[in-house]
Amino acid sequence: MKFFQHNWTKVLIAYHRFAGSWAWILHRITGIALTGYIMLHIIALSSLQKHKIDNGKAFNEEMALFSSPFFLFLEWLLFAFVIFHSLNGIRIVLIDFANGARYQKKLHYAVLTIGIIAFLVMGYVIFSHQLNESTAFLFSPTNK
Amino acid sequence: MQVKFSIFRYDASKDEKPYRQEFSLEVEPTDRILDCLDRIKWDYDGSLTYRRSCSHGICGSDAININGKNMLACQVLIQDIKKKLIRIDPIPGMPVIKDLVVDMTDFFEKYEVVKPYLIAKNPPAKERLQSQAERALIDEAVNCILCGACTSSCPSMWGNPNYLGPAALLKAYRFAFDSRDEAPAEHLEAIDTNDGVWRCHTIFNCVEACPKEINLTWHISQLKKKMVEREF
Repeated sequence: MKFFQHNWTKVLIAYHRFAGSWAWILHRITGIALTGYIMLHIIALSSLQKHKIDNGKAFNEEMALFSSPFFLFLEWLLFAFVIFHSLNGIRIVLIDFANGARYQKKLHYAVLTIGIIAFLVMGYVIFSHQLNESTAFLFSPTNK
Repeated sequence: MQVKFSIFRYDASKDEKPYRQEFSLEVEPTDRILDCLDRIKWDYDGSLTYRRSCSHGICGSDAININGKNMLACQVLIQDIKKKLIRIDPIPGMPVIKDLVVDMTDFFEKYEVVKPYLIAKNPPAKERLQSQAERALIDEAVNCILCGACTSSCPSMWGNPNYLGPAALLKAYRFAFDSRDEAPAEHLEAIDTNDGVWRCHTIFNCVEACPKEINLTWHISQLKKKMVEREF
């Protein structure tokens, strides 16, 4: 008999997404992104091996690059990925090994609320230093 | 009120590709989707094909996909949909035979894998007694009508057609946690595989789809716990 079978990616796009589906999609995306990040992180760190020869010049240059506002912003995004992935990981553990399947939606909204608060606090922690530094000359007695 | 239906049409004997057909109907807010399908079939196009038997949410024949969500056509009212355009598709992830009729052979083959029957070696003298607390464990699981809405809504199943699916796993729970069953290990053995209980990624699409409001993921989580207890 002849059949028609939908392509599964099309089904994934067409099917309605509930709270649980969003949690799963975001968990997958952040998981893949963090795996990619860890590779970049190791490559960036391994390139610093040169400090033995140049007395930390490469290290200092790289650190200067990483404290530029653009990289601070990327770091903030990285934090968002990490916080969602870890909080949702706790949610999944509660679902599988506690009674979490009965209140998974509440858990999902708790993950989002705690995540967004932590994200904003982290934003303040990362950028307050930057903001203070860029406006410091207004208040500092010894003007540069 | 006037509602437009956009219905998935496919006939293997003459269509190369599926297409959509639209019907505008004057309906009451309290009409069920199944009533509307019946009216389209009886008054407009007799070739429209769908399954339905009891039409009261017991037989589980008319699971279809309405506006991207799996549900029973006989249990959903027009006023529940809250949209003027109602898209009707066959349940996803299963091969379409004609229009809204899907091939469920695979679904029932997977169902048989978990040994969906009471395994009792010794016939009882009178009856198999069960306490209220023991029965309460399976209260929710026995409500399953095997409509397939859950298994067909599961992204794990779309991606991996070998996955047993929530309906089969629920049946495994129903017998493995039944105090009258004498060999729960046999049901558990069948689902302790890569494509069994561990393929559930707790996406909860099945719970949203179930017309009997069974929390399938909770039952699967109980199975997972049982598996881990067995190991240690």
